[in-house]
Order: sequence, then C-alpha cells, then structure tokens
Amino acid sequence: MHVPGRDRPDEDACLTHPKVECPRWDEADRLRALKQYGVLDTTPEASFDDLANLAARICETTMAAVSLVDAERQWFKAEIGLGARETPRPLSFCAHAMLADDAMIVKDALLDPRFADNALVTGAPHIRFYAGHPLKTPDGVSLGALCVLDEKPRPEGLTELQAMALKTLAEQVMTQLELRRALLERDRSQHIARLAMEASAYVGAWDWDITQNLVVADERFARMYGVDAAAAQNGAPIEVFTASVHPDDVARVHDEIERAKSGEGIFVSEYRLTSNGVVRWVLARGQVYFDRAGEAVRLPGIAVDITERKQIETDLAETARALSESETRFRVLADAMPQMVWSTLPDGFHDYYNARWYEFTGVPAGSTDGEGWNDMFHADDQQRAWGIWRHSLETGEPYEIEYRLKHHSGVYRWTLGRAVAVRDEQGEITRWFGTLTDIDELKKLEQGRELVSQELSHRIKNIFAVITALVALSARQYPEAKAFSASLRTRIAALARAHEFVRPHTETSKTTIGATTLHSFLSDLFKAYADETGTPRVRIDGDDAVFDDQAATSVALLFHELATNAAKYGALSEKGGLVDLSTARDEDRFVLTWTESGGPTVQGEPSRTGFGSSLATLSVQGQLGGRLEREWRAEGLKVIVDLPATALSRRRAANAVGN
Amino acid sequence: MTARILIIEDETLVAMELRFVLEDLGHEVLGVAATAKAARDLVRENDVDLALVDIHLSDGPTGINLGRELGQEMGVSVLFMTANPGMVRDGVAGTIGVLSKPTDEQAVQTAVDYALRRRQGQPVDYAPPGLQLFG
Repeated sequence: MHVPGRDRPDEDACLTHPKVECPRWDEADRLRALKQYGVLDTTPEASFDDLANLAARICETTMAAVSLVDAERQWFKAEIGLGARETPRPLSFCAHAMLADDAMIVKDALLDPRFADNALVTGAPHIRFYAGHPLKTPDGVSLGALCVLDEKPRPEGLTELQAMALKTLAEQVMTQLELRRALLERDRSQHIARLAMEASAYVGAWDWDITQNLVVADERFARMYGVDAAAAQNGAPIEVFTASVHPDDVARVHDEIERAKSGEGIFVSEYRLTSNGVVRWVLARGQVYFDRAGEAVRLPGIAVDITERKQIETDLAETARALSESETRFRVLADAMPQMVWSTLPDGFHDYYNARWYEFTGVPAGSTDGEGWNDMFHADDQQRAWGIWRHSLETGEPYEIEYRLKHHSGVYRWTLGRAVAVRDEQGEITRWFGTLTDIDELKKLEQGRELVSQELSHRIKNIFAVITALVALSARQYPEAKAFSASLRTRIAALARAHEFVRPHTETSKTTIGATTLHSFLSDLFKAYADETGTPRVRIDGDDAVFDDQAATSVALLFHELATNAAKYGALSEKGGLVDLSTARDEDRFVLTWTESGGPTVQGEPSRTGFGSSLATLSVQGQLGGRLEREWRAEGLKVIVDLPATALSRRRAANAVGN
Repeated sequence: MTARILIIEDETLVAMELRFVLEDLGHEVLGVAATAKAARDLVRENDVDLALVDIHLSDGPTGINLGRELGQEMGVSVLFMTANPGMVRDGVAGTIGVLSKPTDEQAVQTAVDYALRRRQGQPVDYAPPGLQLFG
C-alpha cells in the first residue's frame, strides 16, 4: 500500500478511514521533525521500556511497542514481546494509527480489510488485537504511535481506564522525546557559543574607573546598553549603563558588583537588559583591581549575549515541568486504584507509594522510602516478610505474602502483598511494582468459621460417646446382647477416630491433632492391639497418603474389621503374632497389603462369612470402588486391597479435573 | 484392688454407663459431678482416690484446670476422659493421662488399674493401649 518516494503519507488510509482528518503536514515535514529528535537507531533505554511495559501490563496484552515511522520502515524505540527492532513500513499498523487524532483500535485484524492479509497477522507474531495512540510533536506532527498488541482478538476493545492509561503513557513517551530533543539542542548551542567566544564574537568590552565613576566602553557594548556611542567612548557614570538592566535584576546586579569590589575581585553575572522594548540576556565578566590600601579602583570586563542559550534553558525547564505533569497523571491513575501501590528500584529500595498507602498507614509522605517500610509490619511477621522479599529480589520470582500491616488507628490489619518485576529487553529487572490489599475482614470471617468448625467437631465427637454409652446401657438389660453390643461399640469407636482425621483442618486446629495422613490414622486405630510393652503389632510401611471424609468411614470400618478378626481368630489372637500392612502407590492404583503371621495355622477358607467380613468387602468394593482379595494361606491370612489412587480423596481428584 | 472413684462428666448417659462399668469392676463410685464446683465439693467431703475428668463440663471447658487442681493440690489421681484429646495434647501437670472417648470396658479397666498402681507406688512396666500418658 506504500509506494516509496511518494510525498503525502498514506493517502489510502485517508480514503479507507473517513474519520481520519488528513494531516496539515506532508511526509517531508514529518521526516524532518523525526530527525530532530535524534532517536532513530539508538540503543534501548529503560525510560521507554518501562512505559511500553506499563502499557502492556495495564492493557493486559502480550506485546507493546514505541513505534517511530521512518521513510521505509517502522523502528521500535522500545518493544515488548515482538522480538524485532524494526519492520517494513507497509506492514505497520502504527503508520495508520499515527494519522488519527485519538487511539486507533483494531479489535480483530483478520476481520479488518486493511490488515487481514498483513504478514504480521497471517504469520508471526500473529497480531489479532491492536490499539495504538499517536505520538505527536507539540506542532501536531505525528512521529509514530505507542501501541499494545495481542495474539487474541478482543471484541470488547480497551476499557475506559486502559484507553486513558494508553493516552497518558503516549504523552509521556512524547515528553521523553521532547526532553531528548531539548538536551540535543542545548548541546549544539553550547558548542556554537564556545566557537563564537573563540572568534571574539562578544558583545563588547568596558573599563570602569571606580574612583572617578567613569565607564569607557566600545561601540557594540554601548549599543547593547542603549548608550550613545560617542559618550561611551569618552566615559560615562556607571548608572547610565545600569539604567537599562531589567528592573527585576537591578538589585541583584548591584549586590554582585559590591561583593566583587569588597574583596572577591571577580565579577560574573547573568542579567537581562531592556532597550527599545526588547529583552536580551547577557553574561558579564570582569576583574576588579585594588590599590595598596585595598580600595577597588578599576573594573574592566566583557559582556556576551546569551539570549539564545537562556531560551533553550527555559525550554528545558518547560519540558521538565511537562514531564513531571505527565508523571503526576500516572500518580493520579495509581491513586485511583482501590489498593495500595508501591514501587522499588531493582535493589528493593522503595521510592514510590500511592495515596492509598499514606491513607492506610497515616505516615508522613516519604517517611517509608528505603527500608522504612519494614517497621510497618507486625514484629512477628517482619522476619518472614524480609525472607520472602529477599528471595524475590534475588531470583526475580513474583512476591506474594500475607502479613499484618499497621493501620493509622494503631491496630494491625491482615494484608495481602503481591509484587512483580518489570524487565527490560535484556531481561534485566528495571523496577518492582507491588500492591497491598486489606484482607482483614476476610481473615476474621475465616477465623470465625474455624471456631464454628471446631465447636461442631467437639459436639460430633461427643455424640459418638453418647451413642456408645446408650448402646452399652441398652444391652445391660439383655445379657445375650453383650457380644453384639461390644462389637457395635468398637465399630462406632473406629468411626469416631476417623472423624478427627478428616474434618477440614486449618493451621491452628492441625497442630492439636498432629499429622492427618493415612499412616497416622491407622497407627492410632491399631494402638489398642499393641503388646504389653506398647510395641505395635500391626506394622505399617510404604507410601503414605491423605484421605478425605468420603473415604474415611470405609477405611475405618475396613481396618477395624480386619484387626478385630485378627484379634479373634488370626495372628493377633496369639502372643507373638504380627500383621504387616504395606501401602504402595503404583501410578493410578493404591494397593494395601495386609499380611498376618505368627498366628494359628489357617485351615483354609472358612465355610461361613461373618458380618464383619461382609462389611470389609462392602467398604472396598462398594464405597471405594476397589477390589478386595483374601488369600487363606496356612501361615496366615493375606488381604490385598487394590484401590483407584483417587479413591482416598475423591473430592480433591474431582477438583483437580475441574481445574 | 478396689478404689473410691469420682466421675466428672456432664453427659448423664455416658456417666451412667461409666458408673456401671466401674461398679462391675468392683470399685466404689462416690458420685457424678457435672460442673467443676460440684466436683470440688465432692472431693472436699469424701476421700477420693481417683477422678475421671471430662474436659467440657456444664460450666464450659473447665475440666483442664479442675484436673490440675485435683492432682496438684487435693491429692487425687486424675485421668482425663474426653472425646477431644487434642485439647490436652501438651499434657496437664499433676495428672496421669487421657483416655479417648468413646471407649470400652477393657480400656477403662486397664487405664484405671494403671492409675491405681501408680498411686500405690507399684511398678508398672507399660502403659495400657488407648491411654495417652503425660510427661
């Protein structure tokens, strides 16, 4: 679409995009303006990289660029995720965006006839979404655009906040470019001034006889000060000359002359002259001569016109002010966020906090810069926070922590802190941006829920005790039910134990019961079968596992029945008898092997199956979805329980699939 | 070996069953207290060898302090019996240990025997299964 050498830029874009007002400048003006900034083909700079990075982050895109459109190419001063320094101009989206007054948004490049065939769309980097804000000089000439891009189309475009951020950041890019141009011009002008001085192109020279108060000056000096040339040649009182000093500078110049006369000897002063309504800046430089008594008697010197240099300095100050204004806008944006926002240098030195931080903490502005922030944490959290932060600083990994932050009311509130590193093209960290979110209410709810859960658990366990007592009391009237009552009560007891291991635990409740794994639960369950020295007779080894409430009743009943049976008829019915229980995780299976030894010789499979055995089989094959096999070996019973690995915590497995 | 035992438990059914079990074993049950205050009164009026103390009583979770007081100041051997043994995981000074509820006759019998042997200074080589000892 671009024909090299054409004078007016992208007329096609004007035709296909009727909203675009065709520019008042032509391509030659534009290229001249671009050249003045002296930015093309310079090395990457953090200040531009940061802006591109921030644009991508705020607009939530994978790519961003500061693109400057040259005659035949677009060149990137900064680029995130594009992986190129330049592309041919005909492929440039920004060459279109720069013609608009406001941001150009391409929600899906494949649906836009201007870009559907573009090689950057059909091939890498596969651009689908594009938003670019023009970069315009103070004269309204477009140099290119600040743009954000993504491989995914975005039918909803940018949010209002994102569009505003893109505009603000584009202005900041332009301010940075202006600063660069002003500095270049100052350097150039200082160079010229030096050349001029060498060629004695000074304004003029004077010689002041202080004793007689007569200033003799050359013609150029006299004209500058609005004094008649002939009078100046003959000598005139200094007041004739100082009369043309700008009223705002008179007192200062007078003081500077007096200081030179009273001992300093050197007179150097920059001041304005007004003559014929024109204001000019001069730099005057002279040397005082003293008599033997130490009285100042003579002050000769020269004066140079520095009006042009002063103008550039004023421009520079203006640019610096604009820069800080643009930064102010970023701060307004950050201050509008509901969270506290902070930023540090790559070494972790805190140099920025938004208004929300000062509002929350109530500390004076600037008082928490550097390492001052550490005092804002609860003493118990400081060491932990430092450790995690140092780790992030060393590795560049994202920072995330919950700690108590001192509120201005004096109480500590739970806060969620997060931070990410901003990196330049070389992958070096240039800055850390972080946020803090007040989660105190959330924490209180969590703690309240924990109390309710503990209370509920106490009551449930108490109900198990009451039911057991009720069964025992009921059976007392019927001696024939004694055995039945006893076995029922031990089964209930096994369920009660399982309950403690599977209720939802938090950090605090966990510490009161210790580990909640399968092995710790089984060890607890088999404690009743230990020998007289307290040594366990059911020895557990192999892979441990966690289990949830859905599996708990089945696991408890299964092993209760196996152990009860072993105590009645098997290995545990004789002194010296043992059971080895091994648990093994084998890919998607979890296999438990119960091996009895040292008990009475087994006579083969019993002819009759008791309820306990049925209960065990039911638990495994019904509830847990596994297989239970019994081998009636002469040396002792062997039971193999083969479960799907997910059977012990089905809820967790279901969640994992859901994710 | 028979002993004078006090049951400190606020669940009537649990206390009643425990009383039967202890009486079957030949012990004398001096009474059942549902609050810490009632327990102190009973201990002052009677000569008590052993107290079986629940942690949650009618007047709140007062069992822990009560057990410590009975054991350290009133010369009573103390065994906790609770559905929530985690509450005394770290032990209670002056008391023997904790038995987890629900439990059975066998566990009660061995735990009580163990406590009484210790009270009389008899050698005991092992802790009965189901009884979690302190210290």
